[in-house]
Amino acid sequence: MTQAIKINNLNYQYDDTQTLFDDFNLTIESGQWVALVGHNGSGKSTLAKLVLGLIAANAGEITVFGVPLTVETVHEIRGQIGMVFQNPDNQFVGATVADDVAFGLENQQLPSNDMPSRIDEALNIVGMQAFKDREPHTLSGGQKQRVALASVLALAPKIIILDEATAMLDPDGRDTVMQTLQALKARFGKALTLITITHDMDEATLADRVVVINDGQLILDGTPAAVFSQRDLMHDNGLALPFAGELAAQMQPAPANYLDERELIQWLSRLKK
Amino acid sequence: MNNIMIGRFVPGDSFIHRLDPRTKMIGTFLYILVMLWANSWASYAWTAIFVLGLIRLTGQPFKLYWDGLKPIFWLILFTVVLQLAFTPGTPVLYRLGPVVITTPGLINAIYVMIRFVLIILMSTILTLTTPPTSIANALEMLLGPLKKIKVPVAELALMLSIALRFVPLLMDETQKIMNAQKSRGMGFSTGGPVKRAKAIIPLLIPLFVGALQRALDLANAMEVRGFRDAVQRTKYRVLHYEKNDGLAFAGLFVFVVVFVVTKRLF
Repeated sequence: MTQAIKINNLNYQYDDTQTLFDDFNLTIESGQWVALVGHNGSGKSTLAKLVLGLIAANAGEITVFGVPLTVETVHEIRGQIGMVFQNPDNQFVGATVADDVAFGLENQQLPSNDMPSRIDEALNIVGMQAFKDREPHTLSGGQKQRVALASVLALAPKIIILDEATAMLDPDGRDTVMQTLQALKARFGKALTLITITHDMDEATLADRVVVINDGQLILDGTPAAVFSQRDLMHDNGLALPFAGELAAQMQPAPANYLDERELIQWLSRLKK
Repeated sequence: MNNIMIGRFVPGDSFIHRLDPRTKMIGTFLYILVMLWANSWASYAWTAIFVLGLIRLTGQPFKLYWDGLKPIFWLILFTVVLQLAFTPGTPVLYRLGPVVITTPGLINAIYVMIRFVLIILMSTILTLTTPPTSIANALEMLLGPLKKIKVPVAELALMLSIALRFVPLLMDETQKIMNAQKSRGMGFSTGGPVKRAKAIIPLLIPLFVGALQRALDLANAMEVRGFRDAVQRTKYRVLHYEKNDGLAFAGLFVFVVVFVVTKRLF
């Protein structure tokens, strides 16, 4: 498997005094869906900004598809990574939905004639085609985030990072965004590496791999089932299990290992017999 | 908050709506230049008829234009009163201590009022029928030649369109902060002018902090989507002059010719 992102001996300090990352290592395989979880201030968003070269590391090496991140390669690397941020309003550049999707294409200097088809295609994938000419303030938070996702998709990135993209949304908006992500993964499969940064564990269960970080340290790394079996360690790091996990832990008798929602329902119905 | 008409766009499909934004901008500027040159009742009448005709063509109710005039009512009144009170000349119509109202003063006051109203109506036609991004886009193209003397036209146009895009957002935010402060006993509409002005300060600080945070976030979002500078970009919306624009320019030409003739004859 190729490595989409490889982080080697990363060092990063806030204000040159407070160390956040000290010799941090992480490798993300191409085609995976990785959930990066941690409580507020754990360094997960900072990590995304470091990978995109929005802030500079003090030491260490970040490579994206084998290309080391440097001042010369930063634009090339940003061309491969799309990022959706937390606040839906603060990443909407265009005056209408179509204009916003066009923004990245304009930056890539795509000829004007090729833009409408690329915009339509991207909006279709996220199901926002009907809202093409709407202005941002007439959209809900979930719709704005799907437009942000379309803006990223139009640029055909190999990696998409969602930084707390559902944190400011209502439950409906969160559901539509998560459904869109699952549809994306089904559509692009191994061609797309998805990284969701979140502190919502129900979101993290959808991923192939969960990476828990706290204070710049890698705490846990594995499949959702493996990570969520470590209830005490999760709690020590200020994180709860997904709802099904917390529920199972309160039960007498409790299931032997971590079960997701569907497995827990099956386990409960067997118990009844 | 909702009665602010400046820059408000009302979608439609009229002849005016479909014109190229550049045509509308050139037309508006030309009209205002010519109109300031009027000096007789007949020439003012012609300029007024022209604007009223354009308003009909936009297919929007006159009430929208009236709403556009309301915010500057006091400014018009102030200027009219100044003209009325301080224009010297004869014959004197009325005298009250140092204030003298003369016939030329009265005529000047009415002229000034007509000018104000016509300028506002004409620019309202532009903003009501043209999306803000199109205005920014047209401005960039019209000011294009200034690039030669190193004016950063592309950057200015992008800044303008982003600023316009954030207006409704900042309005919402102002309302939210006001509500939050009102709920804790802050009065924005009570007390004298000084007290009211002071009440604005605690409103401005969170608004500015919020706006700066938004600006930083937006800068990140733009960079991640490959923004490097405003010059080396292609355009999604390309402007084209159509047949209608030719008609509009012909109409403008007729307007100017009739204006000149009216000015000469009457």
